[in-house]
Amino acid sequence: MIEAKNIYLSYDDNKYVIKKGNFSIKPKEFIFIGGNSGSGKSTLLKSFYGDIPLKHGSLKIDNQEVFGIRGKKLRVLRKDIGIIFQDYKLINEYTIEENIMIPLKINGYSDEISKDQANKLLAHVRLSHRAGYYPNELSGGEQQRVAVARALAHNPKIIIADEPTGNLDDFSAEVVWNLLKGANEQLGITIVVVTHRVPKNLGIKFRQLSIEDGIIYEVS
Amino acid sequence: MKFLKNLFAFLIPLLSMLITFSIFLLIDNVVDNYKSKISRDYSIIIVTTTPVEKDSIKELAGIKVEKIQNLPNDKIISSIQSNLSETSVELLKQKLPNFYQIYLEIFPTTSELDDIKQTLLQNKNVRKVEVFYKNHNQIYLLLLLLNSVSFILFFIITIFAIIIIAKQIKLWFHEHSVKISILRLHGASILYSASSILNYALLSSLLSFLISAAFLYYVSNNMIVLFPIELHEIVDIDINLFTELVKIFSLSFSISTFTIFGVLLKYKITND
Repeated sequence: MIEAKNIYLSYDDNKYVIKKGNFSIKPKEFIFIGGNSGSGKSTLLKSFYGDIPLKHGSLKIDNQEVFGIRGKKLRVLRKDIGIIFQDYKLINEYTIEENIMIPLKINGYSDEISKDQANKLLAHVRLSHRAGYYPNELSGGEQQRVAVARALAHNPKIIIADEPTGNLDDFSAEVVWNLLKGANEQLGITIVVVTHRVPKNLGIKFRQLSIEDGIIYEVS
Repeated sequence: MKFLKNLFAFLIPLLSMLITFSIFLLIDNVVDNYKSKISRDYSIIIVTTTPVEKDSIKELAGIKVEKIQNLPNDKIISSIQSNLSETSVELLKQKLPNFYQIYLEIFPTTSELDDIKQTLLQNKNVRKVEVFYKNHNQIYLLLLLLNSVSFILFFIITIFAIIIIAKQIKLWFHEHSVKISILRLHGASILYSASSILNYALLSSLLSFLISAAFLYYVSNNMIVLFPIELHEIVDIDINLFTELVKIFSLSFSISTFTIFGVLLKYKITND
């Protein structure tokens, strides 16, 4: 599913954030990527969806080489990925139903199908009663549940989540973890989560990677 | 309120440009009408050694010839006939050159008249050409000046309009940057991501076109808006409204599209 060989990432040419990164992630795996603040966890995740270009090496997502990817190929890659951000990244001028419809509309589904799927997912994340609300009318926990629903909307092969519970209270965090666990177990979606706090009692088999001084280690 | 503000920021420069273009089209039409009006009373006289057929002069220096009229020389002969013998009259009839009056389809400018004269004199058969420079109408020259001024004004306003429209589109990109970046992260193309901006631009273009079309229609039926009443006997507006509206529509949408795609291209190059 994800195959990294000798990857180097940096924001400028002088200092590499990730050095000589080698790892592989199999389909349907649940992966946590940990490390201290500023260790390069989010940078690594951004490289998965082409938001940061690779300096060297090879990174394949579902057999698509990410090195040097741009234009139409990059758009196709992103269409196959569900992304969850720490700050939710919902569009404030859209209702939450319309936010969930975004990946479906981009993938060319009709309004009717997109709306139907959005409502199913709103029920799944228990926010049906808020379908017509705007993001800034919801709590942080609710916004993140909308973000999870949006990431699941187009049935992606992989979901990438960057500190999805970083801004949430314990209750909301547990709801989000359960949604991701369900996506992995029931839908077989590969989940890659960057977090500095791996949840206890997740009740699912997972693998953990860690980044220290730009080097990626296998923890467990 | 914000929607209207955004709309007006695009609409006003585009509308200024289209109104100026409409004025230019109207003045151009007035000049054309005036030209054909005075061309009916204007002609060139040529003197040739041998007779000239109309078909041999269909066009003069790029200007179409409407008709060639032969000026009979019988009158000249009859006025001097009493003092001449019959043999001399016959000889005179044979030796006298041919006189023609040439009517053109339009009224030529002074430089076009010069070209016509030179073109005619290049023909060895043509002995003399009289173009009557002095008859050249001063009102016509003033209208030509007005036409040039309106075109220059339209040109300058177009440049400023494009600059203002481009700035407004950049501003829209800035205002919608979060939305655009979220959509792009989900794999949307730049056109899809910027669709709300495109909608603003297209709506503004359509509104500008409709307002300027209404202006053109109103002014073409109420000349007093452009020309004082004293000029109404001289100038005349007779436009083909459909053709002129097509020109305004094409200009409105081509300028909008050109500017939008320019900004989109720049955004794509900077952000990809």
